[in-house]
Amino acid sequence: MSQYKIIFTGPVGAGKTTAIESISDVPPVKTDAAASDMTKNKKASTTVAMDYGIMNLAGGEKIHLYGTPGQERFDFMWDILTTGGIGLILLLDNTRADPFQDMKFFLDSFQSFIAKTNVAIGVTQMDLSDKPAINDYHVQLQGMGLNPPVFSVDARVKNDVSILVQSLLYSLDPELEE
Amino acid sequence: MNDKRKSSLKVALHGMDGRTYKTMVMYLQGPCKGAAAVVEDLDAEVDIIDADSINAKALLEQKLAENSSRPIIVLSLQELKLDNALYVRKPIKTVEMLEVLSKAEALLAVKQKSNENVQTSKKLFINTDERKKTSKHQTAMHLDEGNFNAFIGSIPGLDVNDPKQFPNASYNPKEYFQGYFQSACLIAQTKKQVLHLNSGWKSLIIFPHNHEIWFDADDKQLRSFAGLPIKSLSGAGMSLTPASAHALSANRELDKFHNVDAFLWKLAVWSSRGRYPVALDIDRPVFLKHWPNFTRLIVTPHALRISALLIAGPRTLPDIAETLKIKPQYVFVFISAAHALGLVKQAKRQSDEIIQPPAIKKNTERQGLLTRILSKLRGNKS
Repeated sequence: MSQYKIIFTGPVGAGKTTAIESISDVPPVKTDAAASDMTKNKKASTTVAMDYGIMNLAGGEKIHLYGTPGQERFDFMWDILTTGGIGLILLLDNTRADPFQDMKFFLDSFQSFIAKTNVAIGVTQMDLSDKPAINDYHVQLQGMGLNPPVFSVDARVKNDVSILVQSLLYSLDPELEE
Repeated sequence: MNDKRKSSLKVALHGMDGRTYKTMVMYLQGPCKGAAAVVEDLDAEVDIIDADSINAKALLEQKLAENSSRPIIVLSLQELKLDNALYVRKPIKTVEMLEVLSKAEALLAVKQKSNENVQTSKKLFINTDERKKTSKHQTAMHLDEGNFNAFIGSIPGLDVNDPKQFPNASYNPKEYFQGYFQSACLIAQTKKQVLHLNSGWKSLIIFPHNHEIWFDADDKQLRSFAGLPIKSLSGAGMSLTPASAHALSANRELDKFHNVDAFLWKLAVWSSRGRYPVALDIDRPVFLKHWPNFTRLIVTPHALRISALLIAGPRTLPDIAETLKIKPQYVFVFISAAHALGLVKQAKRQSDEIIQPPAIKKNTERQGLLTRILSKLRGNKS
């Protein structure tokens, strides 16, 4: 049986682990460790390898949900993780000093994967910092020649994560039936 | 150099040939007593550029354009006056070099402190009240085909799904509360002033700076009000006034704050009741500027599919319904809401009408898989 996967990426603290947890059918395999470097100001623990969850589909198929480690020093893993991926979910933390810079960094890093598949962007922590607004992200993206879905997302809310993933799937094929 | 600094200042050398580079490394270790150590560019805290090299000008411009927090030291035979860089005249004297390294270290500390402050001030700016604006951050509500008509309502004597009745299936937002609200928001935005929209019904205050409104009515009441033409409600009662000091007081209930776009989207859905805006020509293609922020809006039936299709290229409204094999009312209601937010525009360029909408590539095997994932996600709604 084929192995299919959806990749979740983004900077440290953007909610990748939580988002996977929201839609996974099994308790996600986490590889968290106590944060010891620049991440220590953001949260007590951080993902040092990757997160892994599963969505069980009717008929026994499984969709593997992979979260990339947020720290850039693990970027050598990103190419391996994306092989065979259906598409990319990019989560951005709106409370960070420059979320546009984060967005550009991850879109550049996954450029070839996005070109082959598609990307949907979730902006988290908007209930703590509502600037920049979602429209500001679109302005930045259009300057980069991209027009993907960009939504406010609370990674703890299954409905938010679900809509984000659905938009990714419809971007891949608008004629999918509901 | 600052004696308190335990390690050497990390410097990167630019514009130097192999021999000069080695000499500089030894000079910093020897005569400068390890005040600075040469490292890879990526790990450096300070840049040192030889201004007498061939590509010095380009190098300096590039480093200044990068606008990083790294101080720049320029070495030159000529006397230079630079605004954003430190200067050491050749032949280099150790005292002068140490003095400039010390200045670079101080500059670095200031810039690092300033960066930390940016991060801190961003965190301090976080408004704890924002989290209490629960209506503003509420997750999306899904409408499926089953509950659409009950939620939206219908127009007596009009079947919006009958192509023969399409010419009559439009509505004019200006005749509804939607139009008054849109005009009021535009005025508030232009004047940059908090305004009170008096409808003779419920209090509505527009805060243009935050793109928010404060409104004290539940959805059931609003749905009824939004669906009635204003003239039948005596539109003369509608007025716009600057908000009073009392209206601006901080004691307002935070859960009654709404995002302007989410509120307007909702109003348009209820004013439209499955019709399209009169400003659009149904026979000409429309395009979608970008995806609406669906997680904070009412998701009407097939709205995500319609968005994905329109992002791929402009189409007429009937063509969207035909391509997706859905009732026109679902297209019309989505278009009305997106048009209210300024996201849908009529394709005006001639080429948009001549070019056929892009064909969707069929991949049956993948389509089956993606449909199964969608089905799973929809079953998983919280």
